[in-house]
Amino acid sequence: MTHPVIELDNLRVRLGKREILRGLNLELRGRTVGLLGPNGAGKSTLINTLLGFWKPSAGTARVFGHDVRSEARRIRGLIGYMPENDCFIAGMPAITFVRMGAELSGLPADAALERAHEALFYVGLGEARYRKLGGFSLGMKQMAKLAQAIVHGPKLLILDEPTNGLDPQARVRMIRLISEMRALGTMHIVVCSHLLRDIEETCEEAVILKAGQIVHYSNLEEERASNRRFVEIETEGDDGTFAEAIELLGCACAVTAPGKIKTVLTEGIEIRDIYRLAADRDVQLRRLNYRRDSLEDIFLKAMG
Amino acid sequence: MAVYKRTYQGYSGPLTNPMWRFLVLQRFAFKSVFRSRFLLVGYALCFFFPLIAICFFYLNQNAALLAQVRLQAGFFRIDGRYFLVFLQTQGGLAILLTAFVGPSLVAPDLGNGALPFYLSRPLSRAEYILGKGMVLGSLIASITLVPALLLFAIQSSLMGFDWFRNNLYLAGGILVSGLLLMAVLILLGLAMSAWVRWRVVAGALVLGAFVAGKGFGAVINAVMRSTAGYYLDLQYLFTALEGNMLHNPAPAEPVPALAAALTLLAFCGLLLLLINRKLRVCEVAG
Repeated sequence: MTHPVIELDNLRVRLGKREILRGLNLELRGRTVGLLGPNGAGKSTLINTLLGFWKPSAGTARVFGHDVRSEARRIRGLIGYMPENDCFIAGMPAITFVRMGAELSGLPADAALERAHEALFYVGLGEARYRKLGGFSLGMKQMAKLAQAIVHGPKLLILDEPTNGLDPQARVRMIRLISEMRALGTMHIVVCSHLLRDIEETCEEAVILKAGQIVHYSNLEEERASNRRFVEIETEGDDGTFAEAIELLGCACAVTAPGKIKTVLTEGIEIRDIYRLAADRDVQLRRLNYRRDSLEDIFLKAMG
Repeated sequence: MAVYKRTYQGYSGPLTNPMWRFLVLQRFAFKSVFRSRFLLVGYALCFFFPLIAICFFYLNQNAALLAQVRLQAGFFRIDGRYFLVFLQTQGGLAILLTAFVGPSLVAPDLGNGALPFYLSRPLSRAEYILGKGMVLGSLIASITLVPALLLFAIQSSLMGFDWFRNNLYLAGGILVSGLLLMAVLILLGLAMSAWVRWRVVAGALVLGAFVAGKGFGAVINAVMRSTAGYYLDLQYLFTALEGNMLHNPAPAEPVPALAAALTLLAFCGLLLLLINRKLRVCEVAG
């Protein structure tokens, strides 16, 4: 059996007098994991602990089965890290920056140069690769940070607020890149973000942290699958019997307001059956949504 | 130019030896440092004295040539005093070099938050400091320790084994004082670079550590009527150490060689603490 990507066993981390992480227990095996939580929840501390920057005060944390206490160096060889804040050398051209990252991760000089070109082209900075990082826009700096994180072909990519400060176009490009890397299947990805939409669009699993504790774990793939059975309907011209007709099909149904129905489709009942029923009863369907709890609902519930 | 397809693939080739990976930092830092032509010219000038000294050593033992100007071979005595002057001159240049190069080593990384970039890779903080320090170390060694030992080797080859055996203490003195000078300057350069963002100020502080120490030391000596102030004077400590080790101490030397060496080592420890405190990926909260 393969090791989990990240395994936390009663992990506690204390910085100064404050306990930041309070007994985290978790086992993540998914391809992409979202780390959510308000400011001060402990997301960055967890990432820094996984990278070996902080030592656990109690408990253990393992990455691919390697203990962060004793095998931090080995773990860092398997990880690509894109920090949240500015992380570059202003006077250095992007190609040199990414190449140096690759060489520090152990690639020979010629392979590092080749991979640096590839990584910069991949993130869309091919034409700007000889320009100095200090002159890059915020979006370009984010992409350069991504390039240095993936240049050595890590097994685990940790992205800390990858869409921070990006304009909508650049955000879409970043999300697309993360989705592409997920689809390639060569690496596991941990996305740490305040933006629930980013996590929802890119991740299979989400972990919500609050005050140093895990308050919710959600398998978004399963949620998405179950959401496909949950339908919100708005009708016009319904005399109040449409909901009853849906119930007769065997589906649980609730009328939330006049003309507004929520229903869970049972096995064997498809959406076309609802259309057919509406046509038979001469009811107009004004809106039909597959929607259960969004990640936002889950997050807000978890935050209490 | 090669055209790269926009795709991503993992790397599965061989990796370099982790033990020597810190040298990558040194290589890239060297490239950045030598972009300055001013530094390049200055560095080249640092070899003026060693080159002249090599020629002089050769001429000093060239009987045929000296006979033409009616001088005898070995007319100039090469001894501890000569190497003391050599080390002090080159040491002064090494301080200037440190003031110029040191501030550009760590400050740009801290200024742009690049520490996570380095330390999220299989590279420890000690290796980061070692890699950056190697830049200064190799520059300083190349103008102090290496040419001094080279001069000693040249003189030994010209004078024969007896001179070598009788003056072996010179090599020991050069080695110990040269290594201590390197350690102090490397750590001072890195510490100033880590704590002071402004390059000019950091460079001035490197020079100030030598000048201010001398001033403070003199004030303490005058006010307290003691010799304790000498322990704050880096320049004096090096002179005392080198003078003693090269068997050429100043008359009525108030600081013994061992005390000078221990004081310099303690100073190195203090600088290491300063560097260690500043070179952290994240600030400790609470």
